Amino acid sequence: MGDDGSWNLMSRCCGKCWHSLEYPCRNYIRCRTEGPLCHDDQRCRTLRSERVRYIKEGPNGYRIKVPLASCSIAAGAKEVLDAVKEVVESLGIPSDAVKTVGCTGLCYLDPWLELKAPGMPAALYGNVKPAEVEGILKKYFIENDVSGAYAISERTGKARGEGDVPTLSELDVWRLQVRYVSRNCGVVNPESIEDYIAYGGYRGLDRALRMSPEEVIEEVKKSGLRGRGGAGFPTWLKWRICRNQPSKEKYVIVNADEGDPGAFMNRLLAESDPHRVLEGLIIAGYAVGATKGFIFVRAEKPLMAERLQKAVEEARKHGILGKNILGRGFDFDVEVILSAGAFVCGEETALIAAIEGRATPRQRPPYPAVVGLWGKPTVINNVETLAHVATLMAEGWESFAAYGTERSKGTKMFCVTGAVKRTGAYEVPIGTTLRTLVEKIAGGVKEGRKLKAVQIGGPSGGCVPAHLLDTPIDYESLRDAGAIMGSGGIVVMDDTACMVDVARYFTSFIVAESCGKCFPCRIGTKILYDTLTKITEGKGTLEDLEILESVGRVVRDASLCALGGTAPNPVLSTLRHFRDEYLAHIIDKKCPAGVCTKLLKYRINPDKCVGCGTCAKHCPAGAISKDEKSGKYVIDQEKCVKCGTCVTICPVNAVVKEV
Amino acid sequence: MVRVIVNGKEVHVPEGETILTALKKAGDAVPTLCFFGHMYREASCRMCLVELSNGKLVPACAYPVSDGLEVRTDTPRVREARRTVVEFILSIHRIRCWSCPRKGGNCELLKLATAYWVEGIPVCSSCPLYGRDCLVVKGEPCLGPITLAGCSDPCPSNGSPCIGCRGPVTRKDVLEAAAQFYVSNGVELRDVLEVASMFWEGLPNYDSLKASLEEAFKKALGGGED
Repeated sequence: MGDDGSWNLMSRCCGKCWHSLEYPCRNYIRCRTEGPLCHDDQRCRTLRSERVRYIKEGPNGYRIKVPLASCSIAAGAKEVLDAVKEVVESLGIPSDAVKTVGCTGLCYLDPWLELKAPGMPAALYGNVKPAEVEGILKKYFIENDVSGAYAISERTGKARGEGDVPTLSELDVWRLQVRYVSRNCGVVNPESIEDYIAYGGYRGLDRALRMSPEEVIEEVKKSGLRGRGGAGFPTWLKWRICRNQPSKEKYVIVNADEGDPGAFMNRLLAESDPHRVLEGLIIAGYAVGATKGFIFVRAEKPLMAERLQKAVEEARKHGILGKNILGRGFDFDVEVILSAGAFVCGEETALIAAIEGRATPRQRPPYPAVVGLWGKPTVINNVETLAHVATLMAEGWESFAAYGTERSKGTKMFCVTGAVKRTGAYEVPIGTTLRTLVEKIAGGVKEGRKLKAVQIGGPSGGCVPAHLLDTPIDYESLRDAGAIMGSGGIVVMDDTACMVDVARYFTSFIVAESCGKCFPCRIGTKILYDTLTKITEGKGTLEDLEILESVGRVVRDASLCALGGTAPNPVLSTLRHFRDEYLAHIIDKKCPAGVCTKLLKYRINPDKCVGCGTCAKHCPAGAISKDEKSGKYVIDQEKCVKCGTCVTICPVNAVVKEV
Repeated sequence: MVRVIVNGKEVHVPEGETILTALKKAGDAVPTLCFFGHMYREASCRMCLVELSNGKLVPACAYPVSDGLEVRTDTPRVREARRTVVEFILSIHRIRCWSCPRKGGNCELLKLATAYWVEGIPVCSSCPLYGRDCLVVKGEPCLGPITLAGCSDPCPSNGSPCIGCRGPVTRKDVLEAAAQFYVSNGVELRDVLEVASMFWEGLPNYDSLKASLEEAFKKALGGGED
């Protein structure tokens, strides 16, 4: 029986079903959707198939989907959900048609609504405000008019206004994506195991448990899956090394400590489809022979932690975790661990140390797969890697290897943020060019602006200039361009970004996040930061560029862990691709993008100034005074703190910012 | 036993040992700062970096040996890394050599700084005169606190003040600390400059050095004891 006492997919169909936690049925997962398998009863079969249809299509074909993930909640999805709940019954729609789902990754549409009525195309509405909800629902459900929608699912010829609305698959943002691992994002209710199973969930686990662990590793090897955390280490090899260790106790850990600024695909995946991550973890545990799994989550992402925790509890309740999983004699349990959110904890040895009680990395080798948590062999995989494992185990390695390039197979999720029209998390096959991702899928930069660079891989990554946008996204090509795949955060910058300032920003992040254990990272990054600050303040010399390069090189080579090893990447890559901007700051003492405030100059245009004195009143530094002769106001450059207040406050726009 | 090739020489060390053991066996020592046998081996100082044949720099004190491992201890990259690490350490080091208990030939940092041509440590660091024997404490304008070390101090050892023949320390914080030391012992700027002008007047940066010293003395006189 379900939580509320009603029948659901996880319940028994009739007294003949003998599955219990003590004596689990081996066909439990398949039986939930295709069952019953152990006996033949038309009534039971109908019960199950009707329930699957109810989950997938909603009551009588009515469905209102509202996304509830951290991002959409921040954009106001909860208010939208309340508004929907308020009006839904007055429109004659069953109230259980309202379904909360995860996030599709189309962040620029948040909060969105997806409506479906029998016979009508499903329609997607973007940027919905609570006040508009009633109007939208009425128009769709009563008038059968979809004209206000952002996109529809298909052309049925039955709804009004269909011709003017594109179908989702016609839009670049959807057409060019391959939704492999994110297939359930925005589709299933992340807080319901029943939903996940109705959409084919835990089939990968079911299949894996029918194989030997060696066969599972072989399957992953054939797929060509490489770690999605950034370094791209072959997943099967890590598993094999760990499996071959003689230790009786082994552990598997999900690294859900996503901390790069601008990267949120792990959060999105775990919030929208937590069971997929859990399923991957159990498969990994089975393949390496582990007894226990850990999910290491950032405490700053509470919803993600909460949903993963809920997924673990539900799985445990239904015998998918615990003793003798699915009657295959495999014991495995999972614990969710909250981290306090140090960036360095994403590094695997620091992550292990954090679980043990103090978070500093240690020298590798020995690698965690040999000596890991509490000295036992440990496999640490990224959220996305394990979600891929679950998907490819369910569908077979061919489905995964069909995408990607010769050396890197499959798909990868990327978060495109910054100066683009459509920010969001998109899944594309590896080998797609940056241009496709940034200009086609994310819609490129805003009108009138020019794309300058994309920062890929967060603070550990590098800047790829606009002329290298045709670089295919794979581990090797990006490394050659001076960036790294990283976890997949892409920050797009247009011509209003100053590359020196960008490098300074990312370095400041590293300075704050360095754990302080080894000298090159602790002191070297601070020197890099101080030197960059000096340059942005116009006090730099040509010698400083040499300092940046040599210090950057040593920090990269000599640091203990990957945080320090990749810390100078933003500096080194901007120095390589945007040296002219550094030179402009140093020689001309100018910031071409007009970002570095210390190098700016504010001036009042005497032809426009009407002498009202508003600027002088608001100037925090008292730098503006009246020129008695002309009656106009002037700025004392010595006193000016370059705050920009005068520019915003001048009623006649007489204050000009000089670059 | 596994075979390790250290700078072309073959040595055999037991499995599970670190590169450092192999280096000791081969007689090619590398500097270490944070390594204390079984007490502390966290590889955090990065002084013992060596280069592997795959181009990686790894700390000898923590990297386990494997059969056929090729190690080079003195490549340009290794030297650059070590020198920069010494510079890093020095950059955050609060230099008060005249009152340091490790002076008189026990300063590890001085040894490394001399070996890797890093400047900034004053003569006091190796001076054997402690406490009341110190010439500055006696009120003499000894240039020890502001002269680059590396001469093994023949002058102060023989009781005559340092005359700065190795050139000045230019780091501002060292000059400021030294000025305070002078002031607290009653040594005047005029006397210091008189000795300093002998060797340093011809230096291109003498004027800026003089200005820095003047400023440091002014600050020390105004601010009092540190």
